[in-house]
Amino acid sequence: MSSNSLIEIKDLTVEFQTDDGTVTAVKKISFDIPKGKTVGLVGESGSGKSVSSLAIMGLIPNPPGKVTTGQILFEGKDLLKNSESQMRKIRGKRISMIFQEPMTSLNPVFTVGDQICESLILHEKMSKAEAWERAIELLDQVGIPNPSERIKSYPHEMSGGQRQRVMIAMAISCNPDLLIADEPTTALDVTIQKQILDLIADLQKKYGMSVLFITHDLGVIADISDEVVVMYRGDIVEKNSTEALFKKPQHPYTKGLLACRPSLDEHPRRLPVVSDFMTPDGKEKTPDQSVLKAAKEIRPISDSQTPLLEIKSLKKHFPLKKGFFGGVQSWVKAVDDVSLTVRKGRTLGLVGESGCGKTTLGRTILRLIEPTAGEVRYNGVDVTGLNKSDMRAMRRKMQIIFQDPYASLNPRMTIGAALMEPMVIHKLGSSKSERLDMAAKLMDRVGLSASMLNRYPHEFSGGQRQRICIARALAVEPEFIICDESVSALDVSIQAQILNLLLELQEELNLTYVFISHDLAVVKFISDEVAVMYNGQVVEMNTAVGIYENPQHDYTKKLLSAIPKGMPKTLLS
Amino acid sequence: MTSAQNTQGRSLWADAIRKIKKNRIAVVSFWIIIAYIGLAALCAMDLVFTSYSLVDNTIPYQAPSSAHWFGTDLFGRDVLARAAHGTVTSLIVGFVGAGLSVLIGTLLGALAGYFGGLVDELITWFYSTLDNIPYILLLVAFSFVSGPGLKTLCLAIGLTSWVGHCRLVRSEFIKQRGQEYVQGAFSMGASHARRIFVHILPNTLHLILISFSLGFVSAIKSEVILSYLGLGVEPGTPSWGMMISDAKLELSRGVWWGLAAATVFMFFLVLAFTLFNDAVRDATDPKLRDK
Repeated sequence: MSSNSLIEIKDLTVEFQTDDGTVTAVKKISFDIPKGKTVGLVGESGSGKSVSSLAIMGLIPNPPGKVTTGQILFEGKDLLKNSESQMRKIRGKRISMIFQEPMTSLNPVFTVGDQICESLILHEKMSKAEAWERAIELLDQVGIPNPSERIKSYPHEMSGGQRQRVMIAMAISCNPDLLIADEPTTALDVTIQKQILDLIADLQKKYGMSVLFITHDLGVIADISDEVVVMYRGDIVEKNSTEALFKKPQHPYTKGLLACRPSLDEHPRRLPVVSDFMTPDGKEKTPDQSVLKAAKEIRPISDSQTPLLEIKSLKKHFPLKKGFFGGVQSWVKAVDDVSLTVRKGRTLGLVGESGCGKTTLGRTILRLIEPTAGEVRYNGVDVTGLNKSDMRAMRRKMQIIFQDPYASLNPRMTIGAALMEPMVIHKLGSSKSERLDMAAKLMDRVGLSASMLNRYPHEFSGGQRQRICIARALAVEPEFIICDESVSALDVSIQAQILNLLLELQEELNLTYVFISHDLAVVKFISDEVAVMYNGQVVEMNTAVGIYENPQHDYTKKLLSAIPKGMPKTLLS
Repeated sequence: MTSAQNTQGRSLWADAIRKIKKNRIAVVSFWIIIAYIGLAALCAMDLVFTSYSLVDNTIPYQAPSSAHWFGTDLFGRDVLARAAHGTVTSLIVGFVGAGLSVLIGTLLGALAGYFGGLVDELITWFYSTLDNIPYILLLVAFSFVSGPGLKTLCLAIGLTSWVGHCRLVRSEFIKQRGQEYVQGAFSMGASHARRIFVHILPNTLHLILISFSLGFVSAIKSEVILSYLGLGVEPGTPSWGMMISDAKLELSRGVWWGLAAATVFMFFLVLAFTLFNDAVRDATDPKLRDK
């Protein structure tokens, strides 16, 4: 064993007993976490990365999970041989963890101060007063302004970014040797993500601790990790120093992962996907020339000028506080005087951070939410003024694809029924067998097999479900589709496939998109024009290329500078 | 993924049934419930325990013997046969009473939860008012007005015990109506009725089923309580409640078997229902899925 490694994982196998038999989540993996270094653990959902970290913490739920082989050496001592009470002394003190979802990982009924103090009192045997002092110090270190006041706040009084800072403060409270960060920035906006990444990097240097940073996005860890471990289907396919890995990826999966992330500098026709580099059984494959060409070519911006959708001073205000007699005293201006034009066959990207009103705007356009004031004209017809039955007919032309493919399909309906439902509502197809035919064609169109029509949503992966949602939107042959964060819940590698599919469909069916996302790189890839939203208003609008090359508004500039470069700094120059 | 033949999917219900089948306690409970239903059916058709109303004044209050396993009552009737026939009363009250209350509760709860606003406020106001009147008092009042009898009993239980179901369905509808699949159906042009009945209702059905089976147990208990108070079925109709009611006089004379028979019959039915209910809950809880 090398003397400078803090944790050595040797031949670790973790199995889970399920109704369908034994599932091996992690097979015989080995890697080291050196002292004082940051290791990035990258892989898609289900690749076993979270299971590996839970195994280090001794938190594999048993049953159904079980570590069947291997060792986890922590300073030379096998953690797997520890009893539960020995592990409890290590957890939180020597090894601590931060999670993805800052909204649910803090206890809502205690102040943040109480929660930080808890582990200090437990592990460091501090008195209540000492712990409180130390907690204020910690909050200051993680960049919470006015810590001696904010320490008395409850979690719901803090923003998502601040909660994640509190989680980090808790995690570092006992000067751990190892900090495990499990997708700590995935649920956050880009600007907040950057702050949190910087914070973790700073603290790592300051305390000299080791960090295991788990993510599905290689781009995120390029800046902060020293070494990268890439996992695929429970196996480690590649481990190397960050620089070497980005410079010369060895395994086809890594190559695919690096290539499929849309970059800010290009505007290609198509994104390469992992399957361009790798056969399904993990063998290397040379990408087709056409793939490489499409990835290099610049996608021309559609020159269509016919406006399809015109939005004029659209407003949506939600009542916030009601007076004693029911009069509304204050409003949330979710959409505040927005005017936009979307041209036929083009894509308008709508970016902004959470709470800026982009989702409300999308739903107001479709009248899923009734607007407070303003006009939405579709092909010259004022949608806001349509009566119920005309609106229902109009819905055939305008569709929406939601963010969460797990929530947007009725879990008790087969895929076939879900695809045929819109046809039934709009009286497309004369008989059931004709509709079934149409559904089969739709499945084929989005790259799924028609033989799956009798299955239920829970039998599909996230990417497949999103394809089904797209097929369902296409079932009524719409002209216009709003994609509301439609790829944000997906792994980077799946995201590229869905983006390509959306582009292909646009070309083939001359669709018009409004693409809502917080991810600027994705928006740039798919859009012809981009509108930046901030506080319910559109602060800047330009062509996709224009807005990135020449941002005007301060907020746009801030957004752009926060995007991870997707490359280690040393390789960028 | 490229298999040529159609792959049959497994619905969440099929999944739940498979899980329940693996649970031995659930399977046994299920068969006990079926046995009770079978017994009730046979009794109702007068195929078994036909002696339940056979009066024999020569053998009042006989202790359990090989001829009468649970002894005889004041009129010399076989207690076991009466308890067996009591199953009919209990099951009718359980199914009809709980069924009626679930129907009312689900309908009002769905409307309140789905539409919100004024509809919700009216329905909430209504059930909150109703809920503030002690339940047993309502039952008693209802029985007094329309006179004793099985029909009254079912109506009384159905019309007074729907508040809990209504609350549950309302909160579930509020939760589900904001889900993206319901929004998606809306954006597809689906009508209110379609969204309520095709989309949200099937996704709350498992909770309604559990709620029904809890309601079933409490309806059986209500029958016993009302009969004990003399407001239940007509005198002479075999019912566990009547048997327990009679026991208040009998016990002082050392006649325990009437109470014992009614209790034993009730105990196993309630226990089986409760255990089966737990299994259904475990098998259909979406939070326990995929784990």
